[in-house]
Amino acid sequence: MEPTDPRSTLLADKHVEFIKRLDKKHDELEYWMTEHLRVSGIYWGLVALFLLDKPAALDHQQIVTYILGCQNSDGGFGGHTNHDSHLLYTMSAVQVLLMLGALDQIDTKRVTDYVVGLQRDGMVSGDEWGEQDTRFAFIAVAILSQLGTLEQLDTQGIVDYVRSAMNYDGGFGSGPGGESHAAQVYTCLACLAILGQLHVVDRERLSGWLAERQLKCGGLNGRPQKLEDVCYSWWVLSSLEILGRVHWVDRQKLCGFILSAQDEERGGIADRPGDVPDVYHTCFGMAGLSLAGFKGYALKPVDPVYCMPKDIVERAGLGSWTDKVPESWRE
Amino acid sequence: MRIDGCSDIEDPAPLAQQAAWQDVEPIAQDDGPSPICPIAYTDEYREMMGYLRAVMAAGEESARALALSGRVIQANPGHYTAWVYRKRLVEALASDIGAELDWVSALSAKHPKNYQLWHHREALVERLWPARAALALPEDQRLANPVLRRELQFVGSALDEDAKNFHAWSYRQWLVARYELWAQELAFVDTMISQDVRNNSAWNQRYFAVLRGRPATTQLDAALARAEVAYAVEHIQFAPNNDSPWAYVVGLLLRHAPAALHDELLPRIRALAADPGFAPAMSSTPFYWSALVDIHEQQARALPPAERAPLLDEARAICDRLATQVDITHNRYWRFRKTAVGAA
Repeated sequence: MEPTDPRSTLLADKHVEFIKRLDKKHDELEYWMTEHLRVSGIYWGLVALFLLDKPAALDHQQIVTYILGCQNSDGGFGGHTNHDSHLLYTMSAVQVLLMLGALDQIDTKRVTDYVVGLQRDGMVSGDEWGEQDTRFAFIAVAILSQLGTLEQLDTQGIVDYVRSAMNYDGGFGSGPGGESHAAQVYTCLACLAILGQLHVVDRERLSGWLAERQLKCGGLNGRPQKLEDVCYSWWVLSSLEILGRVHWVDRQKLCGFILSAQDEERGGIADRPGDVPDVYHTCFGMAGLSLAGFKGYALKPVDPVYCMPKDIVERAGLGSWTDKVPESWRE
Repeated sequence: MRIDGCSDIEDPAPLAQQAAWQDVEPIAQDDGPSPICPIAYTDEYREMMGYLRAVMAAGEESARALALSGRVIQANPGHYTAWVYRKRLVEALASDIGAELDWVSALSAKHPKNYQLWHHREALVERLWPARAALALPEDQRLANPVLRRELQFVGSALDEDAKNFHAWSYRQWLVARYELWAQELAFVDTMISQDVRNNSAWNQRYFAVLRGRPATTQLDAALARAEVAYAVEHIQFAPNNDSPWAYVVGLLLRHAPAALHDELLPRIRALAADPGFAPAMSSTPFYWSALVDIHEQQARALPPAERAPLLDEARAICDRLATQVDITHNRYWRFRKTAVGAA
């Protein structure tokens, strides 16, 4: 039997086992150190499984019960049971429930009120303590669009904030003046896409900036002069996909890079070759492979705005953001 | 798990053996009847979390609770709920904000990229010396204030450790903008750029320092534009194949002094490219040619449509050169960029 070359083969079965084993790693310190974001861990694992077309590998009912148990009296969700609410974990919770067809098991109004309650002077904070970041602009919009209650948010205030975070290089930072960073670019573009405001973007300059993220090794970095990291396969590629320019990077080389970061023994994908894998990089590596059109496995298509399988996004009526992309962008 | 200099991290003996905690019954982690995420703990962490859950459930507001929240955060700075509890305790106990800032500083040395630490710091500084009070003083007096001096020094140290720490730069921007410490910032940026001309974060900060919080539509005067062009080109000379100064000067001028692209930048980079000492480096860097595309497009914009063709043709020819010779790695980008020349 020929050994599989991890650089050209997606070790799908190993990744499925890696994800299934996540809740059994009693001997690993990292496990309890990440308790506070367990809900997001589940979201990342589920996305990877769905894209691998192995959605049943985890017990859906158990997950739903657990997620519902993470909701607090303020309507938001914490990262684990008995953890305080935060926008980040509320997002992951809603996405997981959407993917598992269980969104009807939460009170939409309670979650909406929680999110809307975090908006002050136009911008949305991550929590009651007021941290502001363009990530939260996107998350608030994404959550409410999934709940069908977007009209309850002052979306103009959010658009204004996102626009103020646009930099001289066409990129977006975490707030006004903040250095352009691929993850922030994604959140800003995804936010503008849902709100049908992509026309405010400097499409040429930003696409060029994103294309420049690709290094000779095929991997992508998050800002100039920094190292490549598998997670940028998502942040950069999803951004380019929204801009309609994903062909501006060498996708084959990128796939080679992502695959080389797989862990042949344990399964899972790491931030770069040779490092320890984790579920976060497994999710975004998988999503990157899907967006890049990797041919070595029948990955499910992924929606670049929601980072969920396209068919689920469409069934939920959320795929219409594509209709609001500027006319001039449709080549 | 101790942090030197933190006096509230006391007795490392298990909490169950400490007299001060005898009255508390710890609450064990409840993962539910069929846990899908059963969690393994080390004994020490398990014990701390049990006591933390107990005092949180009881709504306790005390010094020991504050100390315990600190220990949990030390062990796991991403533990969001421990932070929430701590912030409430700091308020409820009217804790000494200076001491709290000391504690945050000591922890930050080990966790320079933790969001909560930086955000907590912001809140503490604002409480220690509200901006409204600070802004009643002239800038040199603000700078002399011990709170702000300490903060500038702290964020400077964080950047000494990691000159590209996103959180540190973000915090510095908050500090400089909130307390209007603009006069000193350009000198700081210059120091950072001198230390590493390739530090993109520092160049981003230069833009921030030059603009001084003014709107994106601000037009810079000719003298300032000229000075920034000279600065950028001087640093391009050190390392022509360096993205940051090119992106900075082209971006700055496009937004705030477009005429200077042709009047100031073009002659300087052309001169550098013609200089035998620099010609090979300049002609082989994609950033030089990319800047020319931007400059020619801007020049064309300033002309009547009937007269734009030669400049736009030149820009397209440069895109070809980039795609086929100078920047083959990004050839797909350059081929499409060519089709977009003159479109906007």
